[in-house]
Amino acid sequence: MASQRRKRGQNRVVRYLILGSWALFCLVPVIWFLSIGLRPRTEIITPQPIYVPTLSLDAWNMIWSDWPMGSYLRNSVLAIVGSVAIDLVLAIPAAYSLSRYTYRGREDIGFYILSTRMMAPAIVAIPIFFLFRNMGLLDTIWALMLIYAAINLSVVTWIIRSYMMDIPQELEDAARTDGASDLRILWEIIIPAVLPGIITAAVIAMIFAINEFLFTLLIASTKNAYTMSVALANFTGGSDGVIYNAIALVAFLAFVPIFVVVVAIQKHLSRGLTMGAVKG
Amino acid sequence: MRRLFPYLLVAPAVLYLLAITLYPGIFAIWQSFHFVKFGPWQWTGWDNYQQLFADREFWAALWNTLVMGSIALTLQCALALLLAYHAYRDPFVRGWRIIFLVPMLFMPSAVAFLWKLAFNDGRIVSDLLMRVGLIDANIAFQSSIPLARMTLILADVWQWTPFLFIIFVAALQSQDEEIEEAARLDGASWAAIFWNISLPLMRPVIAVAVILRGIDITTMFANVFIMTKGTPGGSTETISYFIYRIGFKTFNFGYASAASVLMLILTIIVAQVLVKRAFRSGRV
Repeated sequence: MASQRRKRGQNRVVRYLILGSWALFCLVPVIWFLSIGLRPRTEIITPQPIYVPTLSLDAWNMIWSDWPMGSYLRNSVLAIVGSVAIDLVLAIPAAYSLSRYTYRGREDIGFYILSTRMMAPAIVAIPIFFLFRNMGLLDTIWALMLIYAAINLSVVTWIIRSYMMDIPQELEDAARTDGASDLRILWEIIIPAVLPGIITAAVIAMIFAINEFLFTLLIASTKNAYTMSVALANFTGGSDGVIYNAIALVAFLAFVPIFVVVVAIQKHLSRGLTMGAVKG
Repeated sequence: MRRLFPYLLVAPAVLYLLAITLYPGIFAIWQSFHFVKFGPWQWTGWDNYQQLFADREFWAALWNTLVMGSIALTLQCALALLLAYHAYRDPFVRGWRIIFLVPMLFMPSAVAFLWKLAFNDGRIVSDLLMRVGLIDANIAFQSSIPLARMTLILADVWQWTPFLFIIFVAALQSQDEEIEEAARLDGASWAAIFWNISLPLMRPVIAVAVILRGIDITTMFANVFIMTKGTPGGSTETISYFIYRIGFKTFNFGYASAASVLMLILTIIVAQVLVKRAFRSGRV
């Protein structure tokens, strides 16, 4: 008994050693990067790395005065909000159809929607570039909105579909015997019941949209459409090359709201990330 | 009308996706039979494809994608399982989850700069290794093939292991605790329970998670674009970066489209075989 207890104690030491090391591996680079964002540019690339920098808000002043940071922020927010709105308008009826009706071809349609998630952005990058060029949409947030919506539509549809499948049929039947139409049932019963799923889907779509890089790089060429994710890559200047403290600061600027929102939907995260395949 | 109704509901989403996948697909196929630079399109038949099959850079890009992708995916999967195994019945599991999530919530482009600074421009990693006494001189990570690949793999593992971790923890937590208890009363060890009971039960979940991660790894672009640009000697060029470079650096659009079409065919095969099966059985 005593040896078993000792063994369990050892197990706990091993467990916390493993989890603790990974926690350090996650956090140390982040804290160091934050210190990069809060130091003057002269202390970043030095013959000897500086681990304890002098605190400075140089980068903060620089991102607002040297670049149109306000435009980048506005472009990011508008393109993301717009794309999520498009996704929800298209995905909610689609998910309703895929989860609450049986009809011929349903499985294939659902799978087709899912399979668009598997497409590498680079495969369609060139045709999409030509398409937007012909439509005169290059370097506009409309193009970003449309493409982000397309990237996320499969994810959003499948997450909402998964939540809708959990609603008991009786709930719907009761309303139907009261004479409610299908659309009213969707609006008054189904949507309120799957609100957590809709929010989860919106948050996941938001994260993917913020992260999007390749299409934005091709579509945006000026401050008209640069988002934060791509604007970062242009933070270079002078002989010193990349301006790391500005990049680090913008990274944290984008991180904070995402972190808050994700912690708020933590319980649904695993289900969202697997497009509804895992009910955590 | 009643029988059409469900089709009408799903139609807008399907049409939207067709516009953004089918149209580009047809466009790419058509363009891949042409020489397209700045002037008008010239029909060249199968030339682009012949050239592509003989192009060592194309095969190298495929190979690099495969090598870096499979190493990164294996590492992430093993690490996420190890961490999930130790965390899922821990009283502080919520805390661990929030901490481990942090890298995943940074923009990938920013993460790429973080590691570029740590490995190359700022020489932090070299400096730390020298302080510990593991090496005597600065390492030029960007000029060695295995080390340059390693930096890309590390950046991916750092950022995306949490993705798998979160899914695995959720899958483990949703399993019936009574089975574990019963096995433990029979004298089975934690490790044995995990290996013989929990792991087989979560196989469908692992399949779904690994497929999703695998797709994102093979389409890796931002990290290559920011950290290595494919150097040294094209050894870190992924297939996505290859298509981008041919299309938007040398403006050889027809040729890049031919590569896109081959990738598209590959994607359809993978989607049909793997994804369909995983998501069918994946309703856990």
